[in-house]
Amino acid sequence: MTMDRTISNFIRALRNADVRVSTAETLDALGAVELVGYRDKAYLKRSLATVLPKTVDEKDTFDACFDQFFDFQDVRGEQSDSELSGDQSEEQDGEEGESGDGEGGGSSGEAPKGKKKKSKSKAKKNNLYEEEEEADLGPGEITDPKSALGQLLMANDRVELSMAMGAAGEETNVRDIKIFTQKGLYSRRIMDAMGLPDLNREIGDLRTSPQVPARRLGQQLKARRDFLREQVRDYVEKQFLLNADVTGKRLREELLRKVKLSNVEHRNFRLIQEIVYKMAKKLSALHSRRKKIYKRGALNVPRTLRHNMSYDGAIFDLHWKSVKVDRPKVFAICDVSGSVANYARFMLMFLYSLDEVMPKVRSFAFSSDLAEVTELFNRNKIEDAIAKTLRDYGGGSTDYGQALLDFKKNCLDDVDNRTTIIILGDARNNHGEAHAEVLKEIYDRSKRVIWLNPEAKLAWNTGDSEMRKYGAYSHQVEECNSLMHLERVVGNLLKQIA
Amino acid sequence: MGDIEKIAASVASLQESFEAHNYICSDQIATAVFLAYQLRKPILIEGPPGVGKTELAKTAAEMFALPLIRLQCYEGLDESKAIYEWKYGKQLLYTQVLKEALDEVLQGAKGFTESVKRLHEFGDIFFSEEFLEPRPLLKALKEENGCVLLIDEIDKADNEFESLLLEILSDYQVSIPEIGTVKALAEPPMVFLTSNNTREISDALKRRCLHLYIPFPDADIEQRIVAARIPEIPPELQRQLVAFIHELRTMDLKKQPAISETIDWARTLVLLHAEALDPKLVTDTLNVILKFQEDIENVTTEVSSITARITK
Repeated sequence: MTMDRTISNFIRALRNADVRVSTAETLDALGAVELVGYRDKAYLKRSLATVLPKTVDEKDTFDACFDQFFDFQDVRGEQSDSELSGDQSEEQDGEEGESGDGEGGGSSGEAPKGKKKKSKSKAKKNNLYEEEEEADLGPGEITDPKSALGQLLMANDRVELSMAMGAAGEETNVRDIKIFTQKGLYSRRIMDAMGLPDLNREIGDLRTSPQVPARRLGQQLKARRDFLREQVRDYVEKQFLLNADVTGKRLREELLRKVKLSNVEHRNFRLIQEIVYKMAKKLSALHSRRKKIYKRGALNVPRTLRHNMSYDGAIFDLHWKSVKVDRPKVFAICDVSGSVANYARFMLMFLYSLDEVMPKVRSFAFSSDLAEVTELFNRNKIEDAIAKTLRDYGGGSTDYGQALLDFKKNCLDDVDNRTTIIILGDARNNHGEAHAEVLKEIYDRSKRVIWLNPEAKLAWNTGDSEMRKYGAYSHQVEECNSLMHLERVVGNLLKQIA
Repeated sequence: MGDIEKIAASVASLQESFEAHNYICSDQIATAVFLAYQLRKPILIEGPPGVGKTELAKTAAEMFALPLIRLQCYEGLDESKAIYEWKYGKQLLYTQVLKEALDEVLQGAKGFTESVKRLHEFGDIFFSEEFLEPRPLLKALKEENGCVLLIDEIDKADNEFESLLLEILSDYQVSIPEIGTVKALAEPPMVFLTSNNTREISDALKRRCLHLYIPFPDADIEQRIVAARIPEIPPELQRQLVAFIHELRTMDLKKQPAISETIDWARTLVLLHAEALDPKLVTDTLNVILKFQEDIENVTTEVSSITARITK
């Protein structure tokens, strides 16, 4: 029963970390655990890795989760008995509580991981001594602590301590923890609920006390308080892992979807990328059932015969070999000058993440002169290609007229009535020649021209914006400055080209 | 049968047995096969091309002494190629022959109703097992002592085909409308699916399978693979060769050399009686491991520095 609980808790943590685990897979995991057992951790990890995560990304997440989760279980189990034996050794040699503690952990330790962690915490404590250059008071008698928490700590009863910790956790509603920045807050609250202020006061008093035994107790209590702090932090960490991680992430994702793309901070790029992929995947799933268009080809003899069996071999229901009509084309023309670069980045990311359902995309970038970057995208990873595009073509002053002329010169011949052209730009032409007649030509030849403008609608046609002229020759004009807009536009696009 | 159970009794014995059949596998691979056998689940294998995905299934068949039934997937593959097909030629022929006999059958029948009734009596014969041409999936179910079923490059087939597979993967059975459900005999087939990840496999399919990702192996395992496949290779050459390939995999290449390329290269070098790598030898044989002219050009400039690094 407890084993099942462990697995289902682990699966909960996995789900929180965005690994999709179905009920059937949970059952498989239980079956695997029954076969493999918990004894050999690496073996268990390998086994669960074939059952639970089903993509390479999920496997990475799984690895991290597994290490975190099972490491935890170990350390907790481990520490409780090491502490007990530490307790005994402490009673024997009276004063040297800390080192006795460590040795006890060593002798009773089984899992190497737990041991390592243990010795680390011990080293930390030793450091603490060094930093403060505490006088070695030597062995000797110790006074009794007065505060409740102090008594609990000196009694060294692990069970009592963790029960107190659990109770304090309940009291502070640690389960409601939402984002990782709250970890410190909750740790402190739990410590406070356990009676930290009293303890601190007592330690302060003791350390200034003229009596050696009292000072000794002060040192002891201080060390144990630090140890407790670590314990509480671990406890909160685990609660966070189980309850909150994903909620916090979702919160941020939700915000990022709505925020203007030009305002996205650089550190959030990775998360945005993830969101883009996720959105793209959703759209892919939605549109992958797209109807296939077939063109009639030569007579399919076997099929015809087969279907006419029921008519006594008289052939009157003909079947044809079909040829799939090749996919429509999408041209994306992006302004990558400073003001619009960020939008271009995410739109290109979106388009290329959709390669499963999206027809062949050819992309062009310009600030003044236009260049085709399709090759760049085919040969590099999306992120690299985008970075290179922005580096090589961004930064000039925008000239839409010139870009349109370039497009006409280079690839107007490739535009036909199956082509959808997406232009992303703010249409701010620096008062140059707009060459809207070129756009009209493109408009006439193509299936659709969609103009996406990252500026708010109110700002269109103000100053040097040529939106009115260009808008006339677009089938569709949209404001597009957040991921939500992007998702809608691309979703519609998929519907139309299908 | 006993043999299979003995081999698949533990991960270690599987690994040993794979090794005896010249397939060096990591713990992860052995664990996956172990679980697949014990839990009677299909394995979906993903990884870059040339890391031995198909080979794993082939070796497993050889090791368990089971027949290997292979279904190569491609765009447009459908049930008539994968599961079953009616032998329409035979059906046609029989209809023609029976035409003659029709009079006899109907002799003495009074009225239309009775004639139809008599015809019904043998009407279903045309859609019985006699006229059924089993394709790989059905064949695999009908193997009495079990078999290894390899569904190769599932990502090349259409989405619809995946749905077709779901029944056989989860319940080891297929439904044929005219006949009914065909279930696997005593021992269900061991199913291996491979994918090169040219598209995302549907969640429904993934849910029914164990998932094994085979990456490029680390140098140690790759050396053992080379040694197992080409025993006559000098040890020093083998080390250098694997080290060289691993250096290549860290570079930006259109196609990274896989294990199959490593083995081809080792074979080439053995044929040339090489004892150690030197820049000229490498440059001359580079086309064995690199399949794009651009890659070859990129690497050629680096050859001497890489060789120097690994032969020192």
